[in-house]
Amino acid sequence: MSRMRERLLRHRASREEALERESAECDKAEASARLDETEETEETVCTVHNVQHADAEASETEPLPLLWEGLDVRLIHTSNGPFLRREARYPMSYRHGLHSLSELGAAVKGLAAFRAIGQFERSRDIRQEQFNAAVRVPLDAGKVLFLDLETTGLGVGTGNVPFMVGIAYAEGEAFVVEQMLIRHPAEERAMLTYLCDKLPSFTHLVTYNGRTFDWPVLLNRLILNGFRKFQWEPVHIDLLHPSRSIWRNTLVSCRLSHVEEERLGITRNDDVPGALAPAIYFQFLADQQPGPLLGVFRHNETDMLSLACLAIRFGHLLSGQLEAYVPQQPQSEELLRTGLWLEKMGAVELAEPLLAQLAEDEQAEPGCLFLLADRDKKCGNWPRAVLLWQKVVQAAERSHWPDWRAHIELSMYYEHRTKQLQSALLLAESALSFAQKRMAGLRLDAKRRQELEGIRKRVDRLRHKIGRLSG
Amino acid sequence: MNRWTGKTSGLEEWLQLLKGQPEIMNNVTHWHTIPPREARSAAMPADIHPSLVEALAGRGVEKLFVHQAEAYRAVREGRNVVTVTPTASGKTLCYNLPVVQSLLENASGRALYLFPTKALAQDQVAELQELAAAMDVDLKTNTYDGDTPPTVRQVIRNAGHIVVTNPDMLHSAILPHHTKWVKLFENIKYIVIDELHSYRGVFGSHVANVIRRLKRICRFYGSNPQFICASATIDNPREHAERLIGEEVALIDNNGAPMGEKHFICYNPPVVNKQLGIRRSSVLETRRLAASLLRQGVQTIVFARSRVRVELLLTYLQELVKDELGTKTIRGYRGGYLPKLRREIERGLRSGEIRGVVSTNALELGIDIGQLQACVMNGYPGTIASTWQQSGRAGRRQGTSVTFLVASSNPLDQYMIQNPDFFFNRPPERALIHPDNLLILIDHVKCAAYELPFERGEKFGDEPLEDMLEFLAEEKVLHHAGDRWFWMEQSFPAHGISLRSAAQENFIIIDRTEGSRVLGEVDRFSAPTLIHEEAIYIHEGVQYQVEKLDFPEKKAYVREVDVDYFTDANLAVELKVLHVDKELESGELLRQYGELTVNAKATIFKKIRLGSHENIGSGPIHLPEEELHTSGYWFSFSEEAASRKSTNDMQQALLGLANVLVHIAPLYLMCDPQDIRVVPQVKAVHTKLPTIYFYDRYPGGIGLSQRLFDVHDKLLLQAKSLIRGCSCLSGCPACVGPIEEVGLLGKSLALDLIEQVEIVS
Repeated sequence: MSRMRERLLRHRASREEALERESAECDKAEASARLDETEETEETVCTVHNVQHADAEASETEPLPLLWEGLDVRLIHTSNGPFLRREARYPMSYRHGLHSLSELGAAVKGLAAFRAIGQFERSRDIRQEQFNAAVRVPLDAGKVLFLDLETTGLGVGTGNVPFMVGIAYAEGEAFVVEQMLIRHPAEERAMLTYLCDKLPSFTHLVTYNGRTFDWPVLLNRLILNGFRKFQWEPVHIDLLHPSRSIWRNTLVSCRLSHVEEERLGITRNDDVPGALAPAIYFQFLADQQPGPLLGVFRHNETDMLSLACLAIRFGHLLSGQLEAYVPQQPQSEELLRTGLWLEKMGAVELAEPLLAQLAEDEQAEPGCLFLLADRDKKCGNWPRAVLLWQKVVQAAERSHWPDWRAHIELSMYYEHRTKQLQSALLLAESALSFAQKRMAGLRLDAKRRQELEGIRKRVDRLRHKIGRLSG
Repeated sequence: MNRWTGKTSGLEEWLQLLKGQPEIMNNVTHWHTIPPREARSAAMPADIHPSLVEALAGRGVEKLFVHQAEAYRAVREGRNVVTVTPTASGKTLCYNLPVVQSLLENASGRALYLFPTKALAQDQVAELQELAAAMDVDLKTNTYDGDTPPTVRQVIRNAGHIVVTNPDMLHSAILPHHTKWVKLFENIKYIVIDELHSYRGVFGSHVANVIRRLKRICRFYGSNPQFICASATIDNPREHAERLIGEEVALIDNNGAPMGEKHFICYNPPVVNKQLGIRRSSVLETRRLAASLLRQGVQTIVFARSRVRVELLLTYLQELVKDELGTKTIRGYRGGYLPKLRREIERGLRSGEIRGVVSTNALELGIDIGQLQACVMNGYPGTIASTWQQSGRAGRRQGTSVTFLVASSNPLDQYMIQNPDFFFNRPPERALIHPDNLLILIDHVKCAAYELPFERGEKFGDEPLEDMLEFLAEEKVLHHAGDRWFWMEQSFPAHGISLRSAAQENFIIIDRTEGSRVLGEVDRFSAPTLIHEEAIYIHEGVQYQVEKLDFPEKKAYVREVDVDYFTDANLAVELKVLHVDKELESGELLRQYGELTVNAKATIFKKIRLGSHENIGSGPIHLPEEELHTSGYWFSFSEEAASRKSTNDMQQALLGLANVLVHIAPLYLMCDPQDIRVVPQVKAVHTKLPTIYFYDRYPGGIGLSQRLFDVHDKLLLQAKSLIRGCSCLSGCPACVGPIEEVGLLGKSLALDLIEQVEIVS
């Protein structure tokens, strides 16, 4: 043993001594709890459904050790060495939650609205035109690739390794989920070789948070493994962004597992949480027992299916045919957000009916109506904006915890557009009394004080104007 | 002199008058005059691009100083370079000239500049942008640091020609994400490292490893950049640069910049209590000298060693000269001021609107504040190198300038002020780093593995790498497959590793007498003995009692009290020698160097009555024990030497000697006095003999005690001359320590101890 090692071990020894002294009692419980969880995954039994897993055909490869039996993986050889691949083929009639995979064919028409680079025109007419142009280009469902990585860490640093890459696509009458696994990091190059071969036949890439995570991580790996010249520039559809646009206030979280449960009718049984995947993989590296990896495979496979269903959901929305498949969500907040998102995507004509429906909804929350009025104000739809503000003002008068923003908007409208100064003053005055009531007893920070001061000035100005006119 | 206003016509006349004032001159221990120096120039090299020549001419640079020309030539020959010249000698051109020239020749090239602070980085970018604008070329220079908005980061990563950043950012943001910087790393031609001398000690050891990582990434992308470094004057610039970057380096120190006449005046405040060896406050003396200069209209910089002193001196000076100059013309400058305010002060100094500035060593680095005429240092800055840096702030290229060094009563100051030869005739300190400190090294091996897998046969530092990789694989941090070691952990290693030393984590003291205000701070290692609960903490002569010490949050809450005692905490230090690496016996002394662990625990405190010093009570301290595994150096006296003194006398002699040694050790180390500790033991566990231990106060050691082992003889010699030369009767804070601590005979016992050893050897 070298001197270097002796020194390292001395340091480790003194560190361990210190730790022992400090905490004889703690930490152990947590560590053992974690072990239990990983053991549990080993017991998860494959539930049988009408899915074909590719057989581990012995003909083209040498057989894997028996340990791997039951994981449905087989060895793939590339010019850069071997790695493992697992394949599941779902019939298109397969139903995952509310949607069936067969809807993909219809939904891709809408997905075509996502363009390569999304700079949207300010003008509504041009936006609609662009949208029309985009969805006219036929998109083949077989050109869309779904991608999801399981990695050894968080973040997009160069040390974060995707040990499992899941891809999925429609192929004829089947929906194929391919999962690649590396048995140790030296197999990564082989896996990437295979992937680089596969990717260029697709034109669209669908991910969940892939813009900030999966795709940059994969690019890192390509650069690190000598594929710097690899070129593939698909239209990247990151479904996290529209999910956030629509559900940020209605769902407690926009994680895929939560969205699928709340909106796609998908429930998972015995799912291994994604956060445990790295620990399971590290355990496998240490003991070479692949059993627990099955849980990670199944988790990733479900993620791929959910991703496809979420894409179907947004595709339907963009092609205006969602109602043909699922009943509409009744919440006004969601209606509003969906309308605004469609509008942002250029589907102005699809957005209008949703927004109109909201405007007429007697049960709609005032907050949503206010936001809709704001949108109407921006695009010059004054009549409806005024109508909505009035509704919100009425609601505020009835409320115990009134919001005065609509009062101010309406007051501004009367003062500057229709010159009805008296009405404007009345609204400003009641806004002031609401604000004073609500801020009574609260500490007035700079922002609140400024807001209150603003209303007071408005009232003063209006009184002054009226005084001048009458006097 | 104008007899009515008392104003002199200039600094020369004022200095003449000073010589006739005995109340000042009696305290001047040394007046050193450095004659003016002419410029030595060289023609602009012929290969420099015409538009660069023109742009430089437009900024007043027609010719180069010889050191600039030499640096340019050496870089063009493909050598790594370190330039060492004083402040204001045009050091930046030494690297900007070859870099900009190279970018004009090939616009796809890239350069990376490293500065220790953000402020310096911003200065540099401004200068380069002006140069690019003058040439009308598209030369993109950007800072990349924590303040860079995310929106422009991507542009900088892809298109910035010169990226200016700091080592911390390189460590935690750029290297772990090197795949986003492909353009930079593929095309990098030069790495510029300015203020090289500031990368020493723990920080420097970390930075050396960050540079190892940087070079590794460059190799991966097929580039092999040249290093251009610049340093303030230190004893070992070339060796330091070579250790830091791990390559051979050419030294350029042929300074061709002109300098005006310079007066360096050492000033020792008069003794006011001879028995206790107490001198007049250095703050008051500094105030007197600075005020006199400011009243003459001399633009003056005052350096003080702590933030509190800066504020104190600032208040005094603003008060003194407010009628003549107005308070806005005298400003403070220190870390903790906002960047915008600092820029404003720097501008004011350059334009001359601001006549005086009181600063910590924050202004010691190369921030551009133009030429000042006078510098007053409140206390010896700690190293010869910093002293010259600070003094260089006054009198840059022409005209007379003056520097006052006002000594405080601490032993190092007193030694320097009484032995000016030591200062003027000796090279500055050596910058020491120890990149192969095991713990620092292993941290960076982790970071490096995260960035790129290690291959068999690779080198990283001078320790056997494979042993370390195997060790990390055992720890389940790396995974060994084939001929490579891969990072296999969920964490992001760079986040847990700070390049700056842990000693910078201070405890804040909060006064709760009325509301709550921050009173001051205490470093981490002193906290257990100074601000344990119930301790009496004295701040500017006022007593406070510690009511609560929040150890994890590093806060102590105190309240003003008026009591007739102070507290003295007992720190039980246990030293365990683990391994002896070097050993040398000379005469009655045996000295050793090796690895040791230090366990320190504050146990009890005593309440001691003021004046009579009787013990009037005590209490326990409940704080966690601190353990440190580090390297140390110790020397022990033989049994014969031990038998000549009673245990009690030996105790006091050792204590006195240790007090002196720890204060003068920084003379050889260029470190913070806090970085090295000393422990005297009458009967040490390891040697069973009277022993004085030194150890590095950083886990794993950073080479300080190793250096002390080497300079042991000189160290003892200096200690002896300091004790002998001290004017006190029987021990004072400026030599062996106050009588209360070392006893009435402490001084003679300590001196006796060294002299006897000397006679025998």
